[in-house]
Amino acid sequence: MTAVAPSSRLRALLRTDWFGLAVACGVGAAALAAVQPTFLSGFNVYVMLTAFSLSILVALSQMVILAIGQLNLSVGAIGGLAAITFAGVMDVWGAPVPLAVLAGLAVGLLAGLLNGVVTHRTGLNAFVVTLATLAIFKGVNVGITEAQPFYGIPESVKSFGNARLGPVPLIAFVGVAATLAVLVFLRRAVLGRQLLAVGGNAQAAALSGIDVGRVVVAAHVISGVLAAVAGMLAVARLQLGQPTIGDDWLIISFAAPVIGGAVLAGGHVSVGGTCLGVAVVVLINNALVLLNVDPFAVQLLLGVLILLAVALARFREPA
Amino acid sequence: MTALLEVAGASKSFPGVRALDGVDLALEPGSIHALLGENGAGKSTLIKILTGVHRPDEGRMTLAGEPLELASPREAIARGIGAVHQERNLIPRFGVAENILLERPPARRGLIDRAAMDAEARRLMEPLGLDLDPRAPVRTLSVAQMQLIEIAKALSLDARVLVLDEPTASITPHETRTLFRLLRGLRDEGAAILFVSHKLEEVFELCDTVTVLRDGRLACAARPIGTLDRAAVVRLMIGRDERAVAAEPRRPTGTPALELRGVATDLGHRDVSLSVRPGEILGLYGLVGAGRTELARAVVGAAAVTQGEVRVDGEPVRIANVSEALARHRIGYVSEDRKGEGLVLMHSVRRNAAITVWRRLARALGWLPNAAEREAVAPFVERLQVRTPSLEQPVGLLSGGNQQKVSVAKWLAADVRVLIVDEPTVGIDIQTKAYLHELIHELAAAGKAVLLISSDMPEMVALADRIVVMGGFRVLGEVENDRDTAAMGEAILSLIHGEAA
Repeated sequence: MTAVAPSSRLRALLRTDWFGLAVACGVGAAALAAVQPTFLSGFNVYVMLTAFSLSILVALSQMVILAIGQLNLSVGAIGGLAAITFAGVMDVWGAPVPLAVLAGLAVGLLAGLLNGVVTHRTGLNAFVVTLATLAIFKGVNVGITEAQPFYGIPESVKSFGNARLGPVPLIAFVGVAATLAVLVFLRRAVLGRQLLAVGGNAQAAALSGIDVGRVVVAAHVISGVLAAVAGMLAVARLQLGQPTIGDDWLIISFAAPVIGGAVLAGGHVSVGGTCLGVAVVVLINNALVLLNVDPFAVQLLLGVLILLAVALARFREPA
Repeated sequence: MTALLEVAGASKSFPGVRALDGVDLALEPGSIHALLGENGAGKSTLIKILTGVHRPDEGRMTLAGEPLELASPREAIARGIGAVHQERNLIPRFGVAENILLERPPARRGLIDRAAMDAEARRLMEPLGLDLDPRAPVRTLSVAQMQLIEIAKALSLDARVLVLDEPTASITPHETRTLFRLLRGLRDEGAAILFVSHKLEEVFELCDTVTVLRDGRLACAARPIGTLDRAAVVRLMIGRDERAVAAEPRRPTGTPALELRGVATDLGHRDVSLSVRPGEILGLYGLVGAGRTELARAVVGAAAVTQGEVRVDGEPVRIANVSEALARHRIGYVSEDRKGEGLVLMHSVRRNAAITVWRRLARALGWLPNAAEREAVAPFVERLQVRTPSLEQPVGLLSGGNQQKVSVAKWLAADVRVLIVDEPTVGIDIQTKAYLHELIHELAAAGKAVLLISSDMPEMVALADRIVVMGGFRVLGEVENDRDTAAMGEAILSLIHGEAA
């Protein structure tokens, strides 16, 4: 084979989901570091990594559903329900931490199972189903907590939420582990490929002998479990079982995968792109805090960014 | 010999249509069985029953003598029934190898072994003469390559029963010969093969037995192919003799209704000149990718004309978009891609046919009474003999031929002066094809200027008055049609290959 011409290699790079975003992140970080030296301080890096670790789980939870061409509005509600379950069984019954973690995961799994089974069995659009379960999960949450936080969180959980190695928070390892797991799952695991096949062309997948129903249910279960992990990390981080955990996850859950190149029709998501999508959002938030900008600007900028990302995807790959 | 896969008394109804009515079919090992019939005769429904997509309302199936119930395509595959369906069934972003081995990739502990998958895919592609990168995403392939990938995928199942629905629709004659050699090999090893094709020459070349369906019923069951000839098969399919459209030469004069002078477009056309007069049919011939459909899109304003002149009735015009082409210049375009561009499948026949006249029918504040729509379209739907239980039937539930008639009806209702018809009879059965041909003649006789895009040489020769040959987004030349298929074919091919030389 002859050497690939540099221009075609550059074009191939430009066509990837992550390259433009990586450049944007790099430039943004460099500019921030130049303007505001505290940007690179250990504490600021720790703050950003903490935000990143939580948000990436939320984004992955949504991304798995985007992969099959559906939407999950209940990501935040599942996270909230898992969070108060986790905190509640420790506070009220004094359950040991590992048992509480299992309870939280079980809540995520069951909630995802409910979403998946209802979506598959009724043939209703997942948007409608998860809109309904969003209300149900939130209702159960408020019914249990009466909108009051659980305060009795064991010290071990609290210190895990605060612990760090240098500027790296311990919870970052959970985020990284989940990201790698999802990456390998979607690239190499049979079930992961089936997820993308169903998203790419559900009809073809069914005619090829893939059990589409099973795949849809599996995707929702995985989404629920990831949301539950995010909810429990939020408890550790906040040091209390706040019933409002998950209420503000909706935008980031869609924004990061979409900025990262996910196709809403399904069949294509990018784990790397989603990571960079989360990073961009974290950077913007951080910049606006460091530079003392009005918080409404964060929302505004995020909205513009989503539109840009979608327009860019269209430019890269005309329909 | 006993049948390997047998269906007895199969019936299936869909809302408003009895698609299949007491049909029997027996596939014997070591035999290639042709399933023929017009569009809407029930072939696809029968195939979907055999492959577990649909469950029959009535009837029994047996596989090697055992009763068979199929709840899903998955079960059919597990029982050794493989299929190439008519619809494209590939995952666009997945690689060639992964598509071929989609439902059972080589894996260790749940993780896919990519190297083994690539090797296996190469092994399966080789007999089809396919030499593709196993990792290349299938959406980057040509239509013919995708079709061959689907065939490789079906062959990979080592199926005892192989169902092929129009497998040769988009591949070259050379690839077809390779496929037939393979199928004969499989037959000799004892496979039972069901072969569906609109190309009767292929059926006579390949198949051993013939079953013909008409209106959901058996017109003939498992007749040895030697006992039939082409005319007999056609009679069985359409219930009467085939008729050819009588072509009367037309030499209209006068100002061209549509004229292009040295047109270039941002789609890549260069220096395209042609003209079509009222009452004339101008053929636009070329190989796939010659830029004919793209030219049509530019004419109706869906793409930009960057140079040259478009004249309507002798006046230079600039057409900015499709709605202007229709409303101001009365130019209509019957799309080649019925499902994607021509029709809203979920909407009723009435809504689809009336969409072009909504503006004309609308009362104050955009109020659009259903009765007005019905009145406007009913005569055309009737004249085209669209087979539909009512005007309220969703178009998606009609057969392909009837869908095409609805999309023609829509432009008839619009009362256009210039009609561009793109591949009007691709995938359409013989009878509907004859109707559409007559219709296009009638349109021209009624004074419309017709621009006909077709890759079907006999169709071109039967219909067009003059034929413009395109290649590489340019006009290669123009020939007067003398209705002699052989001579025209030669003239056109020499134009196309003159360019290559």
